[in-house]
Amino acid sequence: MRQRTKRILFGYSLLIFAFFYVPIIILMMFSFNDSKIGTVWTGFTFDWYVKLFSNTQMFGALQNSLYIAVITTVLATILGTMAALVFHRYNFPGKKAIDFLFYIPVVIPDIVVAVALLAIYGFLDMTLGLITAIPGHVAISISFVMFVVLARLAGLDDSLEEAAKDLGANEWQTFWRITFPLIFPGVLAGALLAFTISIDEFVISFFTTGPGSNTLPVLVYSMVRLGVSPEINALSTIMILLIVIAVLFTGRKMISPNKKGEE
Amino acid sequence: METMVQLDNVSKKFDESYAVENVSLNIKSGEFLTLLGPSGCGKTTTLRMIAGFEKPTSGSIYINGKKMDNIEPYHREVNTVFQSYSLFPHMTVFDNIAFGLKMKKVKKEEIEERVNKVLKMVQLADFGKRKPKQLSGGQQQRVAIARAIVNNPSVLLLDEPLGALDLKLRKQMQLELKHLQQELNITFIYVTHDQEEALTMSDRIVVMNAGKIEQAGTPYEIYEKPQTRFVADFIGETNIIGGNVTEIKENYAALEFGSQEVYVPNNNYQTGEKMFISVRPEKIHLHTVQQEGKISLKGRVKEKVYIGSLVKWIIDVGNGNEVKVQQSASDVEDLALDTEVFVSWNPDNSVVLKQ
Ligand SMILES: Nc1ncnc2c1ncn2[C@@H]1O[C@H](COP(=O)(O)OP(=O)(O)OP(=O)(O)O)[C@@H](O)[C@H]1O
Ligand SMILES: [Mg+2]
Repeated sequence: MRQRTKRILFGYSLLIFAFFYVPIIILMMFSFNDSKIGTVWTGFTFDWYVKLFSNTQMFGALQNSLYIAVITTVLATILGTMAALVFHRYNFPGKKAIDFLFYIPVVIPDIVVAVALLAIYGFLDMTLGLITAIPGHVAISISFVMFVVLARLAGLDDSLEEAAKDLGANEWQTFWRITFPLIFPGVLAGALLAFTISIDEFVISFFTTGPGSNTLPVLVYSMVRLGVSPEINALSTIMILLIVIAVLFTGRKMISPNKKGEE
Repeated sequence: METMVQLDNVSKKFDESYAVENVSLNIKSGEFLTLLGPSGCGKTTTLRMIAGFEKPTSGSIYINGKKMDNIEPYHREVNTVFQSYSLFPHMTVFDNIAFGLKMKKVKKEEIEERVNKVLKMVQLADFGKRKPKQLSGGQQQRVAIARAIVNNPSVLLLDEPLGALDLKLRKQMQLELKHLQQELNITFIYVTHDQEEALTMSDRIVVMNAGKIEQAGTPYEIYEKPQTRFVADFIGETNIIGGNVTEIKENYAALEFGSQEVYVPNNNYQTGEKMFISVRPEKIHLHTVQQEGKISLKGRVKEKVYIGSLVKWIIDVGNGNEVKVQQSASDVEDLALDTEVFVSWNPDNSVVLKQ
């Protein structure tokens, strides 16, 4: 009986993995397919990658996406970390309510954020451009940073900071020499989260960027409307590889965000 | 000797209850002072107020004559050895110890020299490059001590520094700490709830109970002359006998104890007054015959326990009262359970307690 349960669970897990990864593998395969229609395998080629790298429109969009993602990551990481520190350290009236407010961006549909921002920009009579997408991106990623850093702070022994002060370190020195190095894995994980959220964000970017300032997901969307080109498969393959590398690089720290005493 | 740390009527209130209440204390320079008391009596809170991590609700603390009311922990000439060691996990042993000196902007060569010197002093000369996690509990403990004393503090605060160590290591570290304290002539304020540790190490013991000082004195005074019931009971084993004064005979007051009588040296006691005395088990003798003209309580052997060189007896003296007796094993005959015996002691060896 137990043996059977095991086998069923194993088969079930295989199915789930297949559900996750088969489409991705097929997509990666077809990025090397020597056919424009992309549904039958006709031969191996790098053509689509060559074409992709000479597609200036695509590169412009990638640049836009990276620009937004980097600024978003920096802002969300700083603000989210600071919020986490305040929440961890201080008690103030209304703390519970404010804490609740940090959960809202996590569950609120992006479309609501997008429309709300549009209304504000309209009210302020601002022209939409590239940077008008940033506030929305920061708004939806800040909470994630805060949660990850807060989890790390919860595992931090408060007496370490006291020990530092006892040895003559002021608040500033204590933060940079003790607190920050110890929560850094959490901050890094939060930054990575913010970056991935921003780079593949579609709805907010679609509504709050001006004409000519397409981000990559928005460009891909407009291209796909004319049919899936193998070029997009090539682009997706590159993005997947980049993300896998990034995750492997920071992975160890993300997996154990609460472990104390590591380097 | 001059006063190093002074607590002037210090209280600390958490929510609605006092963790420390009206504590006044003068700690002399170079003194080894121990705060002793049961869990929750306010020892840690007292220490944390001296270190500056808690602000007194009322009263003031002076270190080296300076009022500490608004002085941050990092500006106080005290260092703390934390109960959980609190070593910085991301730094090597060397960097942990060097931390305080770096904060004071001491020159690099001097830091190196001083750190290596204390590493040797705590017998960890070869461990500088390790991370705290790669050390045993006892070694981490030494690093915590080294990290504090390398700064040459005027006062070292130690909060149950040996609490996590096993008995043998504990005894060894007690001696080492005491030697270190005498060698460096630092004022130690030491917290423990282990009375034996307090008695062996301290110049002076402050017994605390429920946030207040019960008694302060040398280990001898605390053990031999407890002033309150709490102290007598908390430090070592004792017999506490409570009864009314029945009559005054010359220099002694007689106290009823069940249906029998004991005596204490008279000190203007009144007949009918209720009082409590403490008699240590090792001051009490067992006899098989009645002793004339002395305290001599008739009882029966209820229990006896051999603990190597000593024998502990519990004697039932009637009316539900028991007397604990402790004697050297060679001093007593082997009395069977339920044997009739007489218990006596010199009245001068009993201590009258405040309520
Ligand atoms: N930050 C705090 N907030 C509220 N109450 C506290 C706080 N710190 C201590 N207390 C209370 O103050 C009292 C004294 O605590 P303290 O830690 O000083 O005891 P202690 O003598 O060190 O005990 P132990 O031997 O268990 O360490 C306790 O009743 C404790 O619950
Ligand atoms: Mg304590």
